[in-house]
Amino acid sequence: MADLSSSAGGAVPAGTDKTPWRERLAPWAFRAPLIFMVAFFAIPMAMTVVFSVFERTMFWMEPGFTLFSYENFFFSARLTNFLNSMKYSLISVAICFVFGFPIAVFVRKSIPEVAQHRVVLLFILPFMVSEIIRVFALRPVLQRNGLVNTTLMDLGIIDEPITALLYTHTGVVIGEVLSFLPFIVFSGFLAMEAVPKYIFEVCDDLGVGPWRRFVDVILPLAAPGIFAGSVFIFVNGLGVALLPNILGGAGAVNAGLIATQAITALDFPLAMAVSAIMMATLTTLLWIGHKLFDLTKILTPLS
Amino acid sequence: MNDYDNIWLHRLKWTYLLLVVLTLMTPVMYVMYVSFNQNGFGANEYVFTWEWYGLIFSDELLIGALRWTLMLAVVVTVITVPMALLAAKYYKAADNKLFPVFLLLAPLFVPPDILGSALLVFFKNLNFALIWLGDQIGTSLFDSWFRLSFLTATIGLIIYTIPYSFVVILITMGRYRKEQTEAARACGANGWRAFWDIEFPQIRAGVFSACAFTVILVFNEYTRTSLLKGGFDTFTTVLISQMLNTGMSPQSYAMSAMVSFVAIAVIGSIILFTMIRAESLSRTARAKAEPVMS
Repeated sequence: MADLSSSAGGAVPAGTDKTPWRERLAPWAFRAPLIFMVAFFAIPMAMTVVFSVFERTMFWMEPGFTLFSYENFFFSARLTNFLNSMKYSLISVAICFVFGFPIAVFVRKSIPEVAQHRVVLLFILPFMVSEIIRVFALRPVLQRNGLVNTTLMDLGIIDEPITALLYTHTGVVIGEVLSFLPFIVFSGFLAMEAVPKYIFEVCDDLGVGPWRRFVDVILPLAAPGIFAGSVFIFVNGLGVALLPNILGGAGAVNAGLIATQAITALDFPLAMAVSAIMMATLTTLLWIGHKLFDLTKILTPLS
Repeated sequence: MNDYDNIWLHRLKWTYLLLVVLTLMTPVMYVMYVSFNQNGFGANEYVFTWEWYGLIFSDELLIGALRWTLMLAVVVTVITVPMALLAAKYYKAADNKLFPVFLLLAPLFVPPDILGSALLVFFKNLNFALIWLGDQIGTSLFDSWFRLSFLTATIGLIIYTIPYSFVVILITMGRYRKEQTEAARACGANGWRAFWDIEFPQIRAGVFSACAFTVILVFNEYTRTSLLKGGFDTFTTVLISQMLNTGMSPQSYAMSAMVSFVAIAVIGSIILFTMIRAESLSRTARAKAEPVMS
């Protein structure tokens, strides 16, 4: 930006209109993406709060002030469902962390630097297949006569097919883990940038065991990245409607599903209230994380 | 302890890593496997066939959807990637980095259904407001600006894809040294020339990966597209509505498999391409470093 704005305005005395319009326009071109994001992302997200207190009409909404949608959310089964989905989302975060984070540590610690990015690229591969298709594809895998059950029965490990794998909360958790695990690997990989390789040697020299090394050294250093990855998984577990819709059974309803169901039922203020609640949850989480770990640290390798 | 002290532990960790990737890919590969079965899912007998793929390409509706999808992917990419590039340049030079980075990365954290519904209601209200405004000043010029259409779907998908492009481009820019631009400027190049001749060739890989990413993300996206599109269908919206209404048919297995094949082919060819390129670059570098024999 510095090189651009200096050409745009710096050399020319203020007040003279000699600068060609192209050069005066240039700095604004660099702000265009931000203006776009404010207009079509920040404002619409903020407006959810305003629209959520509008009055519901037959097919749409009209300006007004009512807390009916919030009442509708907080004093019904929706709240229970929402809190339940929080619980299962937290379980998914924990599982993703346990399975995914060691991979990030392993890649950073034991793989030569030139090859690290290629190994991480392996985890982009599943992510590049449409999430919807991966989630749908779990149905034939987890079904009563699906891949998992037939394999287990062929191997003689079980006699009866396990039916708890699909159309249950377990199914949703499996779906969440398989959809979001790559993200903990990516964010863990970025987070491990804050853990220099010599730390491992220092720990060895000082005779620190792997567990203490992990808890006392790696975890505090990589905390911002781990937190960002976890928030990502948590919020998506709450917000991706297709997971409970496709894999869940009765009672598996998350915020995303409540919002889309409200839209289908033409209850737009309710959908906006759910969105506003989700945005509040997300902002609170990120704010707490920022206060605790200073999330801008994650971006140090980028700037 | 050094990893190579215990080679078996090292191998075990590698096995675990590959096993996780394999587990993540299993559902997709299973779908691919089923899609070539004449008898469909769950049949006792497996007979290889191309039949279901043939059905896709003879389906007018699907071909139309495919056309819309590709158009959307191209338009979104053409807008998103230059925008992400501009944003990355802005971010690099900005004094206050927190605001731009928050704004550009926040969409990553907003779940698809929430972003989709928020934008849907926003556009509808904007549309009503513009119609009202048009009525006040007696023009119908603004009437259909923000009616759900190709435009609204494009805007939604730009919001969705810009964080990915931004990060990818920013990572490649990390290797670029600003002094080179300064040198070019000192030699009399204007801002654009310095960018195009000096900086761009060095971040080209990042820009191209951002393009590939965007195309794939748009191609795969369902929730945001289906909420914000107007009266057209994309490949995934057709597929999902079929699956939700009639369940998985052999044809929907073939469609899912095909989408996956496309994505894997694109990303696979990028990996191959960068590997071959890195190889040839290092070969020329080696050749240059060799002493001249005379």
